[in-house]
Amino acid sequence: MEALREGMRQAMQQDERVFVIGEDIGVYGGAFGVTAGLIDEFGPKRIIDTPISEAGIAGAVIGAAITGMRPIGEIQFSDFVVISMEQLVMQGAKMRFMFGGKADVPFVMRLAGGSGTGAAAQHSESLENWFVHVPGLKVVMPSSPYDAKGLLLAAIQDNNPIMFFEHKLLYKTKGPVPEEMYTIPLGQSHVVREGKDLTLIATSIMVSRAQQAAEQLAEEGIEIEIIDPRTLKPLDEKPIVDSVIKTGKALIVHEAVKTGGFGGELAAVIMESEAFAYLDAPVRRLAGLDMPIPYNRNLEYHAVPQVENIVEEARKLVKGQY
Amino acid sequence: MAKEIIMPKFGFTQEESEILEWLKQNGDKVEKGDPIAVVSTDKVSMEVEAPESGILDGIRYKVGDTVPVTQIIAYVLQPGEKIPESDSTPAAAHTAEITTEPKTETAQKPAPSLERAAGVSISPVAQRLADDKQVDLNLVRGSGKDGQITRKDVEDYLANQEKTGGKVKATPAARRIAGEKQIDLRTITGSGPTGRIQAADVVSARTAEAPAAQVKPAAAGSQAVNPALKVLKEIPLVGMRRTIAQNMQRSMQEAPHMFLQVDVEMDAAEGLRKLANENKMENSPKVSVTALIVKAVAQALKQNPIVNSQFTSEKIVLYEDINVGVATALDNGLIVPVIHNADRKDLKQISLEVSDLALRARNNKLQPDDLANGTFTISNLGMFGIDRFTAIINPPQAAILAVGKMNQVFVPDENGQPVLRSVVSFSLSADHRVMDGSQAAKFLTDLKNNLINLGEIVK
Amino acid sequence: MAGNSKNEKLIGGILPESKARDLLYKMVLTRTFEENAEEMYALGKVHGTMHLSIGQEAIAAGSSPALKKSDYLLNTHRGHGHFLMWGGDLNRMMAEFMGKEAGYCRGRGGSMHIADVESNNLGAQGIVAGNLPISVGVGLSIQMRKTDQVVLTLFGDGASNEGAFHESLNMAAIWDLPVIYLCENNQYAMSMAFERAFRIEQVSERAAAYGMVGLTIDGNDVIAVYKAVSEAAERARKGNGPTLIEAVTYRWRGHSKSDRQLYRTREEVKEWMEKDPIQRFAKVLGVNEAQMKEIQAQAKEDIRKAVEFAEASPEPDVSTILEGIYA
Repeated sequence: MEALREGMRQAMQQDERVFVIGEDIGVYGGAFGVTAGLIDEFGPKRIIDTPISEAGIAGAVIGAAITGMRPIGEIQFSDFVVISMEQLVMQGAKMRFMFGGKADVPFVMRLAGGSGTGAAAQHSESLENWFVHVPGLKVVMPSSPYDAKGLLLAAIQDNNPIMFFEHKLLYKTKGPVPEEMYTIPLGQSHVVREGKDLTLIATSIMVSRAQQAAEQLAEEGIEIEIIDPRTLKPLDEKPIVDSVIKTGKALIVHEAVKTGGFGGELAAVIMESEAFAYLDAPVRRLAGLDMPIPYNRNLEYHAVPQVENIVEEARKLVKGQY
Repeated sequence: MAKEIIMPKFGFTQEESEILEWLKQNGDKVEKGDPIAVVSTDKVSMEVEAPESGILDGIRYKVGDTVPVTQIIAYVLQPGEKIPESDSTPAAAHTAEITTEPKTETAQKPAPSLERAAGVSISPVAQRLADDKQVDLNLVRGSGKDGQITRKDVEDYLANQEKTGGKVKATPAARRIAGEKQIDLRTITGSGPTGRIQAADVVSARTAEAPAAQVKPAAAGSQAVNPALKVLKEIPLVGMRRTIAQNMQRSMQEAPHMFLQVDVEMDAAEGLRKLANENKMENSPKVSVTALIVKAVAQALKQNPIVNSQFTSEKIVLYEDINVGVATALDNGLIVPVIHNADRKDLKQISLEVSDLALRARNNKLQPDDLANGTFTISNLGMFGIDRFTAIINPPQAAILAVGKMNQVFVPDENGQPVLRSVVSFSLSADHRVMDGSQAAKFLTDLKNNLINLGEIVK
Repeated sequence: MAGNSKNEKLIGGILPESKARDLLYKMVLTRTFEENAEEMYALGKVHGTMHLSIGQEAIAAGSSPALKKSDYLLNTHRGHGHFLMWGGDLNRMMAEFMGKEAGYCRGRGGSMHIADVESNNLGAQGIVAGNLPISVGVGLSIQMRKTDQVVLTLFGDGASNEGAFHESLNMAAIWDLPVIYLCENNQYAMSMAFERAFRIEQVSERAAAYGMVGLTIDGNDVIAVYKAVSEAAERARKGNGPTLIEAVTYRWRGHSKSDRQLYRTREEVKEWMEKDPIQRFAKVLGVNEAQMKEIQAQAKEDIRKAVEFAEASPEPDVSTILEGIYA
């Protein structure tokens, strides 16, 4: 969370075209506190509280972006982005193309997604793949504080509309983050851990769960290679393909529901690639159950992949049980 | 009512059949279509199948009996039923549960030793079905005793072929490796879920001692028939011929052969043989040259256990049992009856067994045990006028001895004067994975000495 | 629900006294429920978040009870009071709040999505203004089925700035749909103060833009709410279309449990707490302090029993996790 805040602060210090707009991001500090304190430094003209008007927020960042500003929008719970859909999908994503490539729409829309907080069905979804399906948008999904800052700064500098999906549970994670400004190029997958037995491709919070699973499996002598695409679109396919060629097996883990999720896209990428001929088992997806997120804590826990599920799934795949 | 099982009529001219084996015994439960007995006509072994499901009972003939066709040979009973008291002759209308005539005269039962050595035995009905449907039996996995391929296996295979269109379940990686190594995936057993072949299965199949099934004789010589040439006859690659082809090809592909030859003066041995035959008791068999050689070989094997051995992917196994096979030519191929424990038998006993086995081989009366568990093979083409030759090792054995004909040659004596001697040329083919030249040479030298000093050995 | 016996005293000229006393009890019950909820949350007994309506109880007390059992309710995320006033069973409500199988939504929905479709309670709402367009459909259905039902749609000042608000009101107006739009203006859309989010003084001014009746009332006055809703219902049943009622009140607690309330002063909160709708209604009914204590004790006892009931109810079985997604 501090990494994101620092990223926004530095971007705003460096470039006065950058501003943040969203619900309760001012004095309130954002629903999860990400923007806390920024209003004191930059004032209400650059940290703009809006009424509850998600379509308006989306329109505001698009309009400002196309006229020379570099806005950062915040959708309080990523679920609410459904109210912004028209502006984002019909307008922001297509503008450059419709205008013959002549318009820059450089905005970043930050969205807090994911389950695990007991916020139930309308505040816990993982909708990233909807935007992967929209040409013109880039979709970024950091999994660590270091990546969060570097990717956010890269996104702010990018001249395209960018959907930046944060996971609520990751706001509390700690990790080394350099103080200075740095960027992580969009479209670069990250090999988080090396291994020879299985390629595990995970996004967002599933990266850390995969790491925990890999630790456990290492004790059994199973070596998992973990790849975090970081940018779902554009997707850096090569590290994934190379890894699958090496291991012959691929497990994709994400929180979003399996059907129509990004895992299907990743699986297809693997199948279409040179890695196909090296596959020694079906590509498997471990993802959220095809259901809305339940309120009950235990059901909520079981609705999305947990460390033990990853361990089990990975082990079965490595042992040739699929 | 008790269902009669009759001796079926297989051919138009056939009048009787000999019971070769009862596959089921009185009191055994049988399913309709189960083979219950093996019978032979002139040259062909056939199976008699159960006409109904139930309990087999009332077997009327023992192995070796010759039974006129359409005679009742046994019954299938349902619970509570009894064998009919009257021994009425079955009506002429009774027909056996065999619906097709054998197409070839190759289905032999018992299986030849070459097949058994390869671990592939095939029931006659399975063989026939496979021939009819042109099934490559290498691709069929046996579920019967000791992996025997039964009719059900062939039927299952055919059903699966129909279902999958002959496709093999394998991972892309397995397919790639198999493609690179030119391995037929159909010959590999998959270890994955539902039998899917995974990369490791292909790799291990490649490195392990390859099962006989992996080598396809058809593939080796599968060049298109030259249409410019007039065909005299086509010999289908089935039965014994196919087994020989498979085993020999496999042997040559897998076992690096080395060849060593030695000429042995047989005068002493011949003298011994003649002496023995002159003094033999009435009705006891003559001592043959083959028997002499078997005895000398057995002794040499005892002296050189490395030759009496087998190569596996993990180890070389030296056997204590010395079972010497003697290759015997038949009209349609070659089988190798075995003199078991030849090192512990005297010349007379060996002679008896050699002649008995040869006779029964030619009469198709060998039992499976006669062919099983050979550890070394002797192939003698001397009777065909061959001076010397090299043989192909009979897998999984480690060596084979090729024996030529006895020639009269002049050799120098101690004083350098030519003397006439009876000389036989022995060629040893040995698996170089198992032994080296010096070890093979020692075996041959010992054999030579044994033959020269046979008198001492047989004392 | 407006029936009364002839001799009964009418509070404010409209509300029968026995009913009024019941409503007072339910107001106290609502507040006790929410105070208890706060406590349970603090103790880690419940998970997630919750939205408390403490200080706003008069609107719930005056609205649902002014309608018939056959009418419809579209609730908000801050809807515990409305749920109880609509006739919700305290035990099953508590069970839902605690995520139990015996809850109204089998523990799947929780406080924010609690519904009782059987009683035409079409659910609380996690999406601000999410229920407004739905009320158009419910109104249309009533019209097409030719019943005399109405739909009570609850929302806040925040929802009034969503696009859905405008589309919904316009459609209900042009088709004369039997919808009662009841805006609970509690002064804050989360942290966004009314003055910062609106250029107008009152939400009800917007009614004119769509051509419907609009009025602003004192949301802490049960009688005022009851009157306004009754009139709106009558209008709707007669086929004279929707009404926009803005009931002005104040949210004593934060927006949700994670609200640090940096956007307002303690003085402001205190000032509004002086205008406690429960004390005010008790005064109207002539209920003294001792009687009030009794009522509160009764509410506490009922809550205690409800917690007991909920705690005894089983957790949903994980094997049933995929139930209830498709028909």
